[in-house]
Amino acid sequence: MRIVRNTVDVTNVALSGVGGQGVLTLAEVLAKAAMLDGHNVRVGEIHGMAQRGGHVLCTIRIGEHAKGPIIDPGTAHLVVGFEPIETLREIHLVAPNGCVIMSSHILLPVAVSMDQGTYPDHDAIMSATKRFTTNVIEFDAMELAEKAGSPNSLNMVMLGAIISTELVPVTKDSALQSLYDTVPEQFQQVNSAAFNLGFAQVGGMLRL
Amino acid sequence: MRLCSLYHKIDTQSPVQALLGPVLHRAHDNLTKPTELLEDNPGKRILLLGNEAIARGVLEAGVRLVAVYPGTPSSEIGNNLTAIATRIPDFYFEFSTNEKVAMEVAGAAAVAGVRSMIACKGPGLNVAADPFLSLAYVGVRGGMVVVVADDPSMWSSQNENDSRYYALMANTPMLEPSDPVEAKSMLIEAFDISEKLELPVLYRTTTRVSHTRAPVELGPMRDRVSTVKFDKDPFRFVPIPSVAYKRHPWLLQQIEKARRISEETSLNYRIGEGELGIITSGVAFNYAIEAVSTLGLKAEILKLGMTHPLPERKISDFLQEHTKVVVVEELEPFLETQVRRVAQLNHIVVTILGKEQGYFPRTYEYTPRTVIEGLAKILNRNTPINWQQIDSKAEELSSLPSRPPLLCAGCPHRATYYAIRVATRGKAIYPSDIGCYTLSIAPPLETADILFDMGSSITTACGIARVTDQDVVATIGDSTFFASGLPGIVDAVYNRHPISVVVLDNRTTAMTGQQPHPGTGLTGMQEKVSPIDIVDVCKGLGVNYVRMVRPFDSMATLVSEIREMVVWVRENKQPAVLVSREPCALLAAIDRQQTGTPPHPYRVNSDLCNACKRCLHRLSCPAMYFDSETNKAVVDETLCNECGICAAVCPKGAINRED
Repeated sequence: MRIVRNTVDVTNVALSGVGGQGVLTLAEVLAKAAMLDGHNVRVGEIHGMAQRGGHVLCTIRIGEHAKGPIIDPGTAHLVVGFEPIETLREIHLVAPNGCVIMSSHILLPVAVSMDQGTYPDHDAIMSATKRFTTNVIEFDAMELAEKAGSPNSLNMVMLGAIISTELVPVTKDSALQSLYDTVPEQFQQVNSAAFNLGFAQVGGMLRL
Repeated sequence: MRLCSLYHKIDTQSPVQALLGPVLHRAHDNLTKPTELLEDNPGKRILLLGNEAIARGVLEAGVRLVAVYPGTPSSEIGNNLTAIATRIPDFYFEFSTNEKVAMEVAGAAAVAGVRSMIACKGPGLNVAADPFLSLAYVGVRGGMVVVVADDPSMWSSQNENDSRYYALMANTPMLEPSDPVEAKSMLIEAFDISEKLELPVLYRTTTRVSHTRAPVELGPMRDRVSTVKFDKDPFRFVPIPSVAYKRHPWLLQQIEKARRISEETSLNYRIGEGELGIITSGVAFNYAIEAVSTLGLKAEILKLGMTHPLPERKISDFLQEHTKVVVVEELEPFLETQVRRVAQLNHIVVTILGKEQGYFPRTYEYTPRTVIEGLAKILNRNTPINWQQIDSKAEELSSLPSRPPLLCAGCPHRATYYAIRVATRGKAIYPSDIGCYTLSIAPPLETADILFDMGSSITTACGIARVTDQDVVATIGDSTFFASGLPGIVDAVYNRHPISVVVLDNRTTAMTGQQPHPGTGLTGMQEKVSPIDIVDVCKGLGVNYVRMVRPFDSMATLVSEIREMVVWVRENKQPAVLVSREPCALLAAIDRQQTGTPPHPYRVNSDLCNACKRCLHRLSCPAMYFDSETNKAVVDETLCNECGICAAVCPKGAINRED
């Protein structure tokens, strides 16, 4: 048996956010969508502490030769940040020409409220991000989630945004199908609205 | 919180439970997944977490009994099985009181003659080590698999102990799956091997096997027998010295048979070709494959699925065919030491490289990078990515405010710990235990001073109280109390240790995902039973001071209850117990959602708030923050879980609940 090159055809996506924001659910929906499109997939996640309001990182790898779940620094095609400093916390994962999608809505860490740290200002966040890649898409996903009907649909806004970049080999139809397969019926309308808002938002920004 | 909409609740309201307060349960994360595991559709591929694949493997291997004590990263095995247990004919599942109990329940079932399994985390096997070693001596008649999930990097554990050494110590076969696909397929083989050898098989996963999702193909399911007859054979199954004396040679003979299986099994195979040899197992195999292809190396990999006993002939042949062999494995040099031993025994001249020369670390989980850097160093090459450069850029971001895990908004433990600090003015010693509440180590609560393992809060309190004259207030959760707290209480009562014990009774096993325990009134088979009340248990064990308090009723009462207990212990020189009972905030939130209770979050009246920040500095509630523009504290209404502790600590009365 030969070992084939396995890094060239694998798409690496890193999701970074705060416990409770629906990071793991987004990973599951995206991975199932990739399977609907006939792809092999791996999802790496950490449980236990993830619900306790701490930092959460989840990785998705799509492609025939994806084996392990982990994404090394400098190899993510897409880093999706649910919150500005959580984006920054995992920015080292992005490949030199990789893309960053970042929600600008801030969740202040408790440490900041307790005067044990300062939240960097927007310019500092953007300039730090751009030291890793200039390919940054920023918008307020929370605003769109609320527009869709619930702040809880933030993760599906991000899914719409991811699909809209066309950086991930997943079709819009499969993504929506996976969303319907995963989200309970009573929440589907809000979540698909959120998906479409995220999709349109990034589509509009990329066309400019 | 998003996932709440998926949680389910089993509300049991017997009169006894009504007395105990609400009992709510979410035994698994996602309602759709466990039922998917029941699908009789061989060939279908579905996305499964490694632990879900193991749960499915239980059905495909025809396992009759599974006993677990939850522990990350093993928990989803039990969570999925309890959700489907009643729909599987002739199947029994339990959340055992602790891992030792689980090992004994499952071990006896296998001795009786059915297939059985236990699952636990690494430290859980330490708890169950005693029966495990005996089980190897007496052996089993039905297949038995011991699933142990190690946690390299300690994502959710107190250490990263390498459980593989238990296979050496107990002399049991061991398999190490490398991904979710193998997690299911190798489990079925593990049962076959166990039955062939009449030995329990250690089945070792790690976090990145258990918590990786991958497409897994379903196989056919196997039926289970309803009952078997226990054939007596006391001079095998009762290891009195004269029996054990005979069983040890038998065990060594079985492990030699196991070695032949290891030589022949397709679980140990080669892939690739080249002068460089790599020996690997578990999740590190994936990184080795990725490293070889990333570096464009010509290398041959010996992938070991059965890592005890090792296929010594296969390894010796491999060593002879390569001049340089690199051993790639996470944590301890388990394989590496054995490979060096095989080389020495067979007089093979070969360079074996690994942890011993410092090419690979003994700490933390591996990544592809770990292996790429190790191989690049060995081969004197550059890595394809300049990681030093990325690291130094990332280093500049190290001043980002941290966001560690915290007690949830509305967590009853926050109230209790706040009260403990106030009542003892932060001056007592605070032995802590294993659970969410260990998070109270962080400022501002800072009520965790010593911790060894499950149940150690009570016993370390005893030790400290004996040799200091300081007040000692131990805290322990309800599930942990049942798992390992009782012997400590007995010790404290009998030996009259002057300790105060606060049981944080949140009616669930919260940290691992809301599993039931003996205090909840629900079993792993979803049966409603009489819960065991911790107050009664403590009284029954002879504690002369036992009181119960509801932490959200009144902060003043909570503080005075703790103060009175500490004074009583000082005066009476014996243990006292205060049970602080309030359901986990996650359960309370689910309950509100399911009953359609409209939210009544607390709000800060900005006219009254004088920006003293007492609420923020004393409670560290994730639902509160300081608005630097208005210069006022703010409650984030979407995160507030309505406990009202902030209102209780506000000196200005500025925080109120909206009507």
